[in-house]
Amino acid sequence: MSRVVISKIATVTALGDGLELLWQGLLAGQSGISPVDRFACENYISRQAACIPDLQAPRHASLLDAILERVAAQLGPVPSDSRLLVASTKGEIDLLTTVCREEAKIPAAVLFEPLLAKIARRFKLTAVGSNINAACASSTIAVARAAGLIAAGQTDAVLVYAADLVSEFVFSGFSALQALSAEACRPFDQQRKGLNLGEAGIALLLMSEERARVCDQQPLVYVAGWGAANDAHHVTAPARDGSGLVLACNQALAKAEIATEQVAAINAHGTGTIYNDAMELTAFNAVFGETLPPLHGVKGSLGHCLGAAGGVEIAIACKSLQDQQLPGTVGCLQPEEAGQGRLSAESQQIAGDYLLCSNSGFGGINGVVILQGGA
Amino acid sequence: MKAWINGIGWLTAAGLGQGRETTEQPLCPGSLEIPTRKQVFAQPDMRFGRLDEFSRIGLAALAFCLRDAGQEEWVEKRPLGIVAASRYGCLPTDLAYLQTMLPDHGKLASPNLFAYTLPNCFLGEAALRFGLTGNTLVLNQADRSGLAPLRYALEELIWSEQQGILAGVCDLAPPADFANGKESPGSLFLLLDKAPRAGVSGYGKLELQGNKMMFAGAEVTDLPTLVKTCLTVK
Repeated sequence: MSRVVISKIATVTALGDGLELLWQGLLAGQSGISPVDRFACENYISRQAACIPDLQAPRHASLLDAILERVAAQLGPVPSDSRLLVASTKGEIDLLTTVCREEAKIPAAVLFEPLLAKIARRFKLTAVGSNINAACASSTIAVARAAGLIAAGQTDAVLVYAADLVSEFVFSGFSALQALSAEACRPFDQQRKGLNLGEAGIALLLMSEERARVCDQQPLVYVAGWGAANDAHHVTAPARDGSGLVLACNQALAKAEIATEQVAAINAHGTGTIYNDAMELTAFNAVFGETLPPLHGVKGSLGHCLGAAGGVEIAIACKSLQDQQLPGTVGCLQPEEAGQGRLSAESQQIAGDYLLCSNSGFGGINGVVILQGGA
Repeated sequence: MKAWINGIGWLTAAGLGQGRETTEQPLCPGSLEIPTRKQVFAQPDMRFGRLDEFSRIGLAALAFCLRDAGQEEWVEKRPLGIVAASRYGCLPTDLAYLQTMLPDHGKLASPNLFAYTLPNCFLGEAALRFGLTGNTLVLNQADRSGLAPLRYALEELIWSEQQGILAGVCDLAPPADFANGKESPGSLFLLLDKAPRAGVSGYGKLELQGNKMMFAGAEVTDLPTLVKTCLTVK
């Protein structure tokens, strides 16, 4: 099995462009959640979302184009033979909404095939790749697949690109589902009242250790373990016992060949909804028991970035391992009992080489990735 | 990289079917009849009628595939995954949802329709009905051969804990703006198992040899040809 490294990262989020800016913002407890001015919100149960600053698109173009440009410019060159795995739940959904509002012809651009071709072209890749749609676990599962392919020697470089937008389409839907918080969301807090949407673009270049050496790329972290499992419980609600997440965590721990006490911290999904956060704490307590490490969630700062959420959180986890710090969970003032002593609104020091990242989504899917520092 | 094909099920323009009951390759152009609950499940089912059409055709094909493999009934959840390739995904559901969202500035947006605007939701329906705890996802990729989900599954079975993956395609007829009359709408899945199943006479071994996909001693070039061969050699 080849060791898998993450060698390049680019992020565009509500806290600005670049991982360092994002990291400093998280350590400072900043939040990118603010009133939305992209569309009218008076008929929705919330006005709050974490939008990327200064994001603009020409008429009849998607805001995803602007995100792609900013991510690609930041990432720089990647090997042209890298496989491309994209993770987006709704692609250019803003464009579809616009043409439907204008009762215009639906352009092919709303499909994933042209989007994949556009992304491959921008990164100068020879193959157009595929999009993985596993709801809010999409980019976690894309990273897990990339790691699996590389570890098994099926390829030696994969570019994972993930992006999703704050769109009226998704905003109105979550509002109709009564899942949005009218105030800034409070992941894992006893008073949490729902989620806020966010948006992001993220690129992660994964390579075999050998290929990274040949390409003169310094490993940022290793991808040590991964897992994916379905709850087989409900389409939109998580299993109360967290059975799917427990399974995915155990798969990842087994793949990494580590014991639970070696995990220094957890970056949880932490949407701020009643059921998700309770499920996660149940699952993590079941997996870790007395060895439950410090954990945090970043959606109080970045909102829920849908298909891009896992990718952004894996990027943040790289910094956590490098700096041995866990940013605070913004909005978590009174942690749920099951997470007390492990959750904090303030940054926490951590000590260790492994960090577990998890995401769960509609359709009952759970994805887990374990990163190893010390690269 | 190899797997045993142990089940085939579909809902296409040729109707509902499963591999062991016919020799006719079912992926063909034509119109798609959206199945009723009675056509798919013998028992009453409150949820089926609420599903969007994309979910119904996908769920129907998965049910017939598992039935074909003798795997529809279950007691313990099992590590089977699903990889469903789709070109249009739930675009028709997206359009239907927009019809509820746009007229009154979101006031009448349908939560039920919205829940099915994520194309992987029908995989959750299948997972809970059939006790499937593997990885479940929808794959979007430029692929006219229909083999991309099978390739995905063959690669993943090597390094994942799943004992098998239901891999296939799922697409409603495209919206009018994209239609050219040559599409073969519908859903078709193959159950690819990591190992032969006791008590099941499978269709044969599917293998990746470099970039080539091989079945029954010959290179596989597209999904209809593979299915036709399976139905012939069984």
